[in-house]
Amino acid sequence: MAQPPNIRLALSNRPENVVLVRETIAGLADAIELDAADLDDIRTAVTEACNNVVLHAYEGAEGALEVEIYSEAGACGVFVRDRGIGLQPRAHRDQWTVGIGLPVIEALAASVDFEETPGGGTEVRMRFATPGVRVLETPEQLLEPGDGTTEPGSTTTVTITPVAPLARSVLPRLLGVLAARANFSTDRISDAHLVADALSAHATDATSASHLTITVSIEPRNLELTLGPLDAGRARELISAGSDGVGDVLEKLSDRVGIEVDGSHELLDLTLTDPR
Amino acid sequence: MRPEDVPQTEELKMASTATLVSKQGLVSTKSGEIAELFERWHRDEDPVAREALVRRFMPLARRLARRYERSSEPFEDLLQVASLGLLKALDRFDPSRGHPFSSFAVPTILGEMRRYFRDSGWSVHVPRGEQERALKVRDAQETFANEHGHAPTVNQLAEYLEVESGEVIEALQAIQAYEALSLDAPRPGADGDAMTYGEAVGHDDDRYELVELDATVSAVLERIPKRERMILRMRFVEDLTQTEIAARVGVSQMQVSRLLRRSLDQLRALTQDTKKAL
Repeated sequence: MAQPPNIRLALSNRPENVVLVRETIAGLADAIELDAADLDDIRTAVTEACNNVVLHAYEGAEGALEVEIYSEAGACGVFVRDRGIGLQPRAHRDQWTVGIGLPVIEALAASVDFEETPGGGTEVRMRFATPGVRVLETPEQLLEPGDGTTEPGSTTTVTITPVAPLARSVLPRLLGVLAARANFSTDRISDAHLVADALSAHATDATSASHLTITVSIEPRNLELTLGPLDAGRARELISAGSDGVGDVLEKLSDRVGIEVDGSHELLDLTLTDPR
Repeated sequence: MRPEDVPQTEELKMASTATLVSKQGLVSTKSGEIAELFERWHRDEDPVAREALVRRFMPLARRLARRYERSSEPFEDLLQVASLGLLKALDRFDPSRGHPFSSFAVPTILGEMRRYFRDSGWSVHVPRGEQERALKVRDAQETFANEHGHAPTVNQLAEYLEVESGEVIEALQAIQAYEALSLDAPRPGADGDAMTYGEAVGHDDDRYELVELDATVSAVLERIPKRERMILRMRFVEDLTQTEIAARVGVSQMQVSRLLRRSLDQLRALTQDTKKAL
């Protein structure tokens, strides 16, 4: 794609992360007013590409699943990358034919290319025609290519740009999926939506950076969430701006709220649990 | 669709057997055999060869049909459309080009399915399917909460509904998006205002005074509907769970969730306006 990605996901290749990718794409679709049929096609193709990483890229071991999502006038791109056994496209092709994945992608995407990931692994670059979508503000060149340092495991890192409108459309879905995975009850999943709403409503005021990164670690019934970069002094404002007339929504719904200083920036730390 | 084009039940049963066989790697090892079947079908119009090809590749059609199973179309209909696509692919495939049949069949079958959806109103059908699933999830959530006294997890809902947890997650997200479709529309009151079952039952308004909420914004709070204020208060002052609020008010937890989100959004907008006005 001609410009940097709007969304980057750094995940492990666990099967449950595929639904997270699907929901993130649905969040982007809300923001760009993507047609439902186009969304369905994109999600079907991307699911195949992700399943391939889940099933084949690491020969049964755990490893990185990196996804970049691009939106431009009339086109969307989704790049799915692994750092696995470095299959050549040809070998991929044969392997995929058995699993039907590649023919589905080829049928649904306007184009699909394979690139080798530096240091091994494969990047599947899918482009889709999406006429008539709302065009997002062009992001600055800020999302460097992933460095492959993703610690496989339960950490999820998502970066979005521009912060508005993507925070609003992506964060609630993201936290909803993660809360579900942490085995929260539907009550607490809904609370996670409220927390995400409060964060995204005020995030643009709390940062002058053009992007926002949210990192979430998951344990059973426990989500640890870090959000940033925020401008110095703004994390506290973000917490109290969340009051919105009913007391501090963030503090009431979270089990712990903290502020971390990260160089010239601040990070907001939130813990959500569902003790039941 | 012409009924004679569609493989009948017997063929479908045999196709299941073919699924098992194909796992042994028929694609590569039996390609000569498949080429021979194509030749017998294309050159001699041998119906037995065609039938053998249908049996051999029906699992492929079924897999592709299954991809669209979450739409509202019955699976049998999807399978019929996919089967028709398979038959078209069998007729048009040119083995002399040296490509495997599946690389030609998959786009042909998917194309047939997409055309079918387009003709029958895809954009209408897909959301309806999602909405039906969302309703099932909502009902299951209520049933579970009533039986157990607390809200279920996604895994519990998935087990109860015998679906994958990913589908439940997507349904839960869809519920949040269905405000306009109104899964449980409020009943219009006599004065035209929206009225919930909870309000219809009646409450002691004094219990829901705003004083315990943030007094400085009570002016803003007064501008949102009473039932929303009541729900906000239950959640943020009385610290009830959404399921407990749902039980008190007589709506679903999902609706409590949506009402909370909407009213917090309204409060944010009103607060912003107030700040600007100052």
